[in-house]
Amino acid sequence: MNKSVFIFAILFVALVLVQALILNHIVLFNCAMCFVFIYFIVSLPLDVKPNLLLTLSFLLGLTVDMLSDTPGLNALSCTVLGALKRPVFFAYEQHDDQKRDISPATATMGFLNFAKYLFTMSALYCIVCFFTEYMNFADVIDILIRIGASTVFTYIVILALDSLIGKK
Amino acid sequence: MRNLLNFLIKYSTWFVFAFYVLISCILLVNTSKTHLSVYLSSANAIGGTIYRTSSEITDYFGLLAVNKRLQESNARLENEVLNLRNQLKQYDVLASDSSDYGRYRRFGYIGASVINNSTSHPLNYFTIDRGSTDGIEPGMGVVDQSGVVGIVDVTGKRTSRVISLLNQNQHFSAKIKSTPYVGSLTWKGSDPRVAYLEEVPRHAKYHIGDTITTSGFSTTFPEGIDIGTVMGNIKTNDDTFIVLKIRLMPDFKQLGTVRIINDILKNELDSISGS
Repeated sequence: MNKSVFIFAILFVALVLVQALILNHIVLFNCAMCFVFIYFIVSLPLDVKPNLLLTLSFLLGLTVDMLSDTPGLNALSCTVLGALKRPVFFAYEQHDDQKRDISPATATMGFLNFAKYLFTMSALYCIVCFFTEYMNFADVIDILIRIGASTVFTYIVILALDSLIGKK
Repeated sequence: MRNLLNFLIKYSTWFVFAFYVLISCILLVNTSKTHLSVYLSSANAIGGTIYRTSSEITDYFGLLAVNKRLQESNARLENEVLNLRNQLKQYDVLASDSSDYGRYRRFGYIGASVINNSTSHPLNYFTIDRGSTDGIEPGMGVVDQSGVVGIVDVTGKRTSRVISLLNQNQHFSAKIKSTPYVGSLTWKGSDPRVAYLEEVPRHAKYHIGDTITTSGFSTTFPEGIDIGTVMGNIKTNDDTFIVLKIRLMPDFKQLGTVRIINDILKNELDSISGS
C-alpha cells in the first residue's frame, strides 16, 4: 500500500510537470492539445474511496490550472472525470471480486477493454474542458474539431505512456 | 440529529463532488483581481520557481534567434538615435530654456525574460521573471523588440503574470500611424498573428500595409509603439465605424526578452483623471 502511494505521488508530480513544461506548449494543427495528466485519474486503483478520488482529481486539476493560468477550468474537468471514472470502468468490465482493487491498465484489463475505457475517459475530459473554456467565444463546429483532435492526441499519448510504465 | 448525520455520511460523495464543482465554477467566473489570484496564477512562488528553472535551461536553445533579432533591433535603434540627435541639435536653444524638457524622460523601461507563455487559449497569459521587488506593478505595459505584447496583470515577489495581447477580454487603444484615427484593438482567437482594430471612424484613410501604433491615450503605453500592419477591412453592418484586420508584428509563439514600461507620471495622471 505504502509503495503504491509513493508511486502515485511521483506520478502526480511528474505528470503535472510534463504537462506544464512541455505539453502546454504543443498545439498540433492549431487545435489538438494533449492532457496527459488525466492518466493519473485513469490509472488510480479502483479501491480508492470515492471522496479521496474526487479530492485527488480536484487537486490535480487545480495544480495544472495554477501552472497554466486557466483558473477553475481543469479543476472542474478533473472533478467531473473523477466522478465518472467508476461508471465508465464498469461499462466495459464486469463487476468482479478479483478485479476490485486493480489499477486500470493494459496489463490488468486487456488491451481492447483498456483502449475503450481510455478513449471514453479522454473524450469526456475534452468535452467538458473545451465546452467550458470556449462556451462564449467560438462556434460549435470549431469546438467539436478541437474536442475530436485533442481526444485523439491525448488518447495516443496516454496509450503509449501506459505501454511504457503501466503494470499489474 | 443522528438521521441528519447518517444522511450526510451516506451522501457524502455527492456533497464532496458538489463542493469541488462549486469551487471550480467560482474560480472560472471570478475574473476580478482578488488577493487570492496571485496564489492561483503562474506568478506564485512554486510556479515561478518551476518556470524560472526550466527557462534557465531551455533559453540557451533560442539564443541564436534572439541574438539576431536583438542585433536588428539594435541597428534600427542606433539609426534612430543618430537621427534624433541631429534633430535635437536644431532644437538645442529651445530645449535649454523650455520647462517641457523633462517629459522626454517620462517613461522608464525594465527588462525581463518570458518564462512561460501560451497562445492556444481564448484568454492567454504569459509569465515574466520580474516582480514587485523589481518595481513591477499591475497595469504596466509590456513590449518586445517588435511591438506591444501585453499588460501586467498580477505581480508576485519575483515573477509577474502578463495579460497577453492574445486575450479576448483585453482591449488596447491603437491608431493608424501619423493619422488621428483611433480604434480599439482586440484579438478574436484562433490565429496568434491576426487581431482586429474596431471602432475606426468610417471616414478614416488607410492603405494596406499601414502601420498601427499605440495611441498614447493611456498611461500604459507611450504614443507610437508599433503593434501591427493593416491587412484589409472587414465588412460590417455598422454605418459609422469600420473594422480593420491587423497583422501583429511580435511573434507571440517566440516571446523571449521583453521590456516593461514604467510611466513616471502615472500616479499623477491617474489622480487628475480620477478627481
